[in-house]
Amino acid sequence: MIRVYRALMLALAGFFVLAPVAAAQVSADTRRAKAELISERFSVAPGETVFIALKLTMDPGWHIYWRNAGDAGLPPQLLLRETASIPEDALGKMLWPLPKLLPIVAGEIMDYGYDDEAVFALPLTVPADAAGEVRIDAIADYLICESVCIPETADVSLVLALGDPVENVPSGDLIGAWIAKVPAPFPGETRLSDSAMPWTLSLSLAGGFPEGATIRFFPYEHEISHPAEQPQRVGPGGASLGLTPDRAGQVGAALEGIIRVDAPGAEPAGYVIRAERGDAFAGTTDNAFVPMGLSKEAGLGWQGLLSLAGLALIGGLILNLMPCVLPVLSMKALGMVSAAASGHAGELRAHGLWYTAGVLVSFAALALIILAVREATGFATLGFQLQHAPTVAVLVLIMFAVGLWLMGFLELGRSITNTGATLAGQGGAAGAFFTGVLAAVVGAPCVGPFLGAALGAVMSQPAPAVVAVFLAIGFGMALPFLVLSFVPGLHRLLPKPGKWMETLKQAFAFPMFLTAAWLLSVLADLAGAGAVGWTLAGATALGFAVWIGRDAGLVRRGVAIVALVAAFALPAVQANVPAGRAGGEPAMPAYAEAAWSPAQVDALLAEGRPVFVDFTASWCASCQVNKLTTLSTKRVMTAFEDADVAFLVADFTQKDPAIAEELKRRGRAGVPMYLWYPAGGREPQILPELLTQELVIGLVEGG
Amino acid sequence: MQITRRHLTLAAGMAAAVALTAGALIASTAQAAPAPDKLAPAFTGVTSSGATITLADFAGKTVVLEWTNDGCPFVKKHYAMPPANMQTLQKNAAAEGIVWISVISSAAGEQGHADAARANELTASRGAAPAHVLLDEAGALGKLYGAKTTPHIFIITPDGQLVYDGAIDSKASAKAEDIEGATNYVTAALADLKAGNPVSTPVTKAYGCAVKYK
Repeated sequence: MIRVYRALMLALAGFFVLAPVAAAQVSADTRRAKAELISERFSVAPGETVFIALKLTMDPGWHIYWRNAGDAGLPPQLLLRETASIPEDALGKMLWPLPKLLPIVAGEIMDYGYDDEAVFALPLTVPADAAGEVRIDAIADYLICESVCIPETADVSLVLALGDPVENVPSGDLIGAWIAKVPAPFPGETRLSDSAMPWTLSLSLAGGFPEGATIRFFPYEHEISHPAEQPQRVGPGGASLGLTPDRAGQVGAALEGIIRVDAPGAEPAGYVIRAERGDAFAGTTDNAFVPMGLSKEAGLGWQGLLSLAGLALIGGLILNLMPCVLPVLSMKALGMVSAAASGHAGELRAHGLWYTAGVLVSFAALALIILAVREATGFATLGFQLQHAPTVAVLVLIMFAVGLWLMGFLELGRSITNTGATLAGQGGAAGAFFTGVLAAVVGAPCVGPFLGAALGAVMSQPAPAVVAVFLAIGFGMALPFLVLSFVPGLHRLLPKPGKWMETLKQAFAFPMFLTAAWLLSVLADLAGAGAVGWTLAGATALGFAVWIGRDAGLVRRGVAIVALVAAFALPAVQANVPAGRAGGEPAMPAYAEAAWSPAQVDALLAEGRPVFVDFTASWCASCQVNKLTTLSTKRVMTAFEDADVAFLVADFTQKDPAIAEELKRRGRAGVPMYLWYPAGGREPQILPELLTQELVIGLVEGG
Repeated sequence: MQITRRHLTLAAGMAAAVALTAGALIASTAQAAPAPDKLAPAFTGVTSSGATITLADFAGKTVVLEWTNDGCPFVKKHYAMPPANMQTLQKNAAAEGIVWISVISSAAGEQGHADAARANELTASRGAAPAHVLLDEAGALGKLYGAKTTPHIFIITPDGQLVYDGAIDSKASAKAEDIEGATNYVTAALADLKAGNPVSTPVTKAYGCAVKYK
């Protein structure tokens, strides 16, 4: 009994004695990483330089940081302790292997670092007077994070014998493998262009980067926004990245950091770069490369895409009512009436299908053009086609030609103009197709008002999504006619054809001429009076071609064709003046107080004044409608004046990166955009794209 | 022509639907983070005492926003007693009539998340003295300001200018012994404002744990 008691007492005593030791061991074991000092040598000679390394082996799911941790976190440190036998300067700088992206919160917080295992090599220069042994006692001080962060310190030490060199092969191999992962000097040239947003980091490399390579820039400091995507362009001479500056992002003499190149089938490679200011190198900005999604959340899911496509479909339907499409539609309607009157349901159906095909092909083409522009510039806005003077000049002539045709001066194939009963056959199909194309071409600039927000959202999506949404718009636009041609009996509701059709058709010529006049004013803003003169001369040549080509005869036909070519080619060439505001300063309406700039907005808000910003362009029809019906009306102007509203104009007639950036920032694909900052307000309200006097006055008086 | 009229009515209805949908899309578009020396974005939030506050309530007063997460070692460093760095800053601010607002943006289930009771308990147990503790478990305020780390400090002038965005001090570490000897950017900025000078260091790199957003 006594023995048992003694044994129990001993056990208890043992427990109390051992408990602190056990506790200490537990605390060491609960570290999230194992820290070790390793060396490529067992023994070293005085005066020589060898590599040692801090090796951190992390628990699964935990990570540590690169020399620049990104938005949060801290890089690891190795601190010598006093018991070390070497002075501080015997250890050189830590070498940082190529890090990876650690997206902590998609689009918000991005860190740079390592998971699993990381080996940081340091050169050790053995003191010439070293004696006995080299003892390196140090503290590994690192922050390790999973979803939570824990600062850990670990005592590490390494003893190297003095004497003839003896290799530690496994450690040496490991250190060597990790030194190979340290970014090397970039074998090409780099430049940074920070005059426009986003910044462009141009990487010139003879022979270009490997096919399909993804490139990411990791800065040493915090000049750029870490979580922002870096849209990549590639060319035969290298690549370039779009960098979003940080809020206070400013670059001193140069932007320094590394790039990580991930190419298919190759180990990731890292290069140190130092980019001084300069224009992008030729051959580095040719094509967009669709980056592999950094964050899954950035992509639109099926649901998002479907709802956008649905919205686009409805928008396409409504497009039929826009003033710019209506005249073209009238042609379509007249064709339908005729086909219906012919009594053949089959013809009517073919007509509807061809028309739909014309619209869809055009919208697909528009989507492809927009994608091409996006690839070339990194950002596309709607209505960009009206920022290109030659395109505008050609559109003027097309409108004029359509007007002539509506008037009956010009015959585009018998069956279209012949509104009688002979709509069947090839001519009818081609005519229906052509009408669809024309409706889409003329309607595209009007897409903005209803679909600005939806298109803004889709504009940054992968190409198939963009094409899908544009096709949905086109389908929506064609839908009424498709329904009309397929639902039995519906076409009977159409009025009977008669002479009124010819009269109506001719009457619709005038909206076309007005459209041409409006486009001419756009052209004047873009390329100046000279281009307008040439375009009018082109219109005259067009008229001449029509007149002389009326009668048969080889010579006459030949002259007509020459005149026709000249009619389009000369204005287009003449309008292609160098970029810049050829037409002088943008036209400012009298009620505008100043041109828009972010600084101007801030200054006015600081004065405590309410601010109204009109993002407009002379080629934007709905902008002009809003100006006419709302902004320039006496009621609205008086309301603005009474409330001391500062009216700013951002004129997007010419491409302007600052305006493009602001539109993008607000998620819009193009103009119009109206921002309302109430007095003392800090963030603007974005107004609908079609304004009413009541809406604007209500805001001004309410604010 | 009846058809056309019918279509017009139909389309007008659809136009309204599109305008509404587009409006919703626009409203949900996230605004970009503010830049220093710009107007601070307006916000409305609910505090741990159940009050609803907006930035406009404090017009005429300097406002300090402090992102916090009591589980984060970098926050622990500045709340450690001694030296009670954060508590001292808060008390000094209160004495100067400055509105100090601690913001908790940790999502439910994440480190540092606090309901009103826990937030008040934390204030009491740490001897903290913020004017308000804002509960931002959805992370909306944090993302509006672009708060990246805990701690992360923003200073707003009486007329609503954002004049400081960044770290609490110059030594990026989780060790309390580093507080002494570090330059406290918040103290410096508030002193600049008090003296009527522009803030000499308006932006620094905030350091700490990532904000535990949803």
